[in-house]
Amino acid sequence: MKMFKILVCIKQVPMVSELPWDSKTGTLKRELAQGMMDPSSRRALEAGLQIKETRAELGEKTQIIVLSMGPPMAMEILYQAKSLGADKGILLSDRAMAGADTFLTSFILARFIKKEVPDVDLVLCGSQTSDSETGQVGPQLAEELSIPAIGYAADIQLQGQMVRVHRHVDDFFEVLEMDLPGLVTIDQAAYTPRYAAFGGVQDAFETADIIQVDARRLGLDENFNAVKDSPTRIVDVYSPTTRKENRVLKGTAKAVVDQLFEDYGKIISSAMGKDLKGQGEKI
Amino acid sequence: MEFNPCVKHQLIRKIAREFSENEIKPQVAELDRDARFPHDIIEKMKPLNFFGLQAPKHLGGAGLDSISYAIVVEEVSRVSAALGLCVTVHNSVGIYPILKFGTQEQIERFVPAMAAGDSIGAFCLTEANAGSDAGGVETTARKVQDGYVIDGTKIFVTNGGVAGTILVFAVTEDEKKSANVFIVEDDRPGFSVGEIEDLCGMRANPVSSLFFEDCRVPDENLLGKSGQGLKIGLTGLDTGRIGIAAQALGIAQAAFEDSVAYAKERQQFNQPISRFQTIQNYLADMATQIDAARLLVYRAADYKDRNLPFSAQASMAKLYCSDTARKVTDMAVQIHGGYGYSKEYDVERYFRDAKVTQIYEGTSEVQRMVIARNILTQPS
Repeated sequence: MKMFKILVCIKQVPMVSELPWDSKTGTLKRELAQGMMDPSSRRALEAGLQIKETRAELGEKTQIIVLSMGPPMAMEILYQAKSLGADKGILLSDRAMAGADTFLTSFILARFIKKEVPDVDLVLCGSQTSDSETGQVGPQLAEELSIPAIGYAADIQLQGQMVRVHRHVDDFFEVLEMDLPGLVTIDQAAYTPRYAAFGGVQDAFETADIIQVDARRLGLDENFNAVKDSPTRIVDVYSPTTRKENRVLKGTAKAVVDQLFEDYGKIISSAMGKDLKGQGEKI
Repeated sequence: MEFNPCVKHQLIRKIAREFSENEIKPQVAELDRDARFPHDIIEKMKPLNFFGLQAPKHLGGAGLDSISYAIVVEEVSRVSAALGLCVTVHNSVGIYPILKFGTQEQIERFVPAMAAGDSIGAFCLTEANAGSDAGGVETTARKVQDGYVIDGTKIFVTNGGVAGTILVFAVTEDEKKSANVFIVEDDRPGFSVGEIEDLCGMRANPVSSLFFEDCRVPDENLLGKSGQGLKIGLTGLDTGRIGIAAQALGIAQAAFEDSVAYAKERQQFNQPISRFQTIQNYLADMATQIDAARLLVYRAADYKDRNLPFSAQASMAKLYCSDTARKVTDMAVQIHGGYGYSKEYDVERYFRDAKVTQIYEGTSEVQRMVIARNILTQPS
C-alpha cells in the first residue's frame, strides 16, 4: 500500500511577549528572543498526528514530514515535532533566505516541496502564526504548488484521496470536500496539541532524521537575497493596544440614550471608515 | 567546557515548564492549603514519563541523562515543590536502587509498573531513633523459610501515603546484624500506612509513617546481596541528593522570578522598589547564588553520567542549593514585605517549602560530613 505523506509547515516564534524589534529594518531580532513552536503550527501538527493515528488503527501507513524555515536555532522545533511523533524534519536555513516576506517564504517552501516531496498528499499549516499573524503563507503556498486549499479547518476527515473538512463560519458549520493533493490550514481553536513525552524527546535525539537545507541545495540563484527580493515593505510594526474607558452619561433617559447612540455611532464609523450618520433613519 | 545548554536540554526544560505551568500551577495553592495529593495531575504526568525519567526505554522509561532529570525536577519544583519531591524521590531512591542493585528478575518485576507511574516508589530509612545515623535503625528482618519477616516503624516517609513499591531499610536478626534493603509491595499483609503528617511545607506530598508488623516478604524481595544495605542506601542517597538539589533550585528560581516581577511593579515613594539599591542588591545576590547552585547540580549530574565518583559533588550541590533556597526565599519574602507573609502570594509557600531541603536526604550537617570525609581521604 502506498505511504500517505503529510507535510506540516511549522514555524519558530519568539516566546517573549515584549518582542525585540529592530526599529530600523522593521524585522524581529530573532537572535534575542527565546524561541518556541508557534501555537498555530502545533495545532497543524496535532491534526497530522491524529490523522496518522486514525490511519494506523486501520493498518494504513502515514509519514509526517515537518518543514520549517528559519535560523539554525529553529532546529529545536523540528526535534520537538519529532518528539511528538513526526517522522522526518527539514529546516530550510540560509543567510540569503533570512528576512523573507510571506510571498518569498511561500515560494521557498514550495520550491523545496516540488523538488524533494513532489508526491505529498496533504499539506497542513497553522492558520496564522503568533508573531506576525498574516495568515498568508498557507494559501500562498497552495497557489505556488497549484493545489487546492481550505482555510480554518476545525476537523479533517480523510476519505481515500479526498478530505472532508468542517469549519466554523460565523454561527454555522460548513462542510467542504477537496480532492488531494491539497492544503488545509487549521483553526486556532481546533486540535488541542498534546505534550511531548520525555521518552519521545530522547528518541528524537537518538534517531535524528532532521536535516538542514541551504539555498544552494534548493537551487536558488546565487544572487538570491530575501531582504532585497521580498516585494513587501514593512511600514510600521506595533503591538496592538486596547483601551477601556468608563463614562457616566447624565441627564434625562431620552438625552442619555440619544447621547449613547451618537457616541457609539462615532466609534463604529471610525472603525469602518464610513460616516453612518443618517443610516438609522433609512431603516 | 560548554556552559550553554544543548538543544535537547532546552527542549526538555520547555516541555517540563509548559506542563507544570498549565497543569499544576492552577491547583498549586489549593493543594498546599488542603494538603492534598493531586491524583488527577499524576494521571496526566504518567504518559509523559515523569515517573520513569531515567529508567531504560525497554522498561517503559524515557532513558534520559541525569542533567535532563535534574532539569525536569527543577521545573516541576519551580511550580510545585511537593510534586517535584514526589517525582525525584520516586525516580532516584525508588527506581534507581532497583536498577543499580536489583537482579534481572527484580528489575523486570518492579520497574515497569514504577516507570509507568502505576506504582509510586518510596524509600524508608528514618525512624524515631535513626535518621542521620543509619546505624541506629531498629526495624528488623527475621530470616524464616523462603523469606524474611519485617518488624518496625518508619517515619516521615516521602510519598508514604501513596507508595506502591517501598524500599525498606532493616537490620537482619542474625549474628552479623547486617543492614539490608527489602522491596515491600503495599499489598503485603502486615504493612500499613499511618496518618499523613501535618507539615510546615511540602504539604501536597503524602508524607507519613509506615508500619511493618510481621510483614512477610519472599527471598526474592531482598534487594542486592545480603549485607549490602548500607551500600545501597548510600548510593541511593547520593543520587537522591542531585534530585533534592534540583528541587531546592526550582524553589529558589520561582522565588527569584516572583521577586523580580514584584520589585518592578510595587511602587513606594513614587517609584518602583526595583529602583532602590537595597532591592537591587537582594536581586543580584539571589541571581548569583542561583546560578552557582545550578552549575553545581549540573556538574554532579554530569559526573554521575560519566560514571565518575560523584558523592562529594552531589553533597556540595545539595548543601549549596538548599542553603540558596532558604536564603533566596527569605529575601523574596523581604522584598514582598507584608504581602510576602500572606498566603495571597506564592513566596510564603516557597519560604515554607525551602526549609526541609536542608533537612531531608541528609541534613546540611551530614552533607558537610560527606564533603569533609571526601577531602580528608583524598591522597595529598
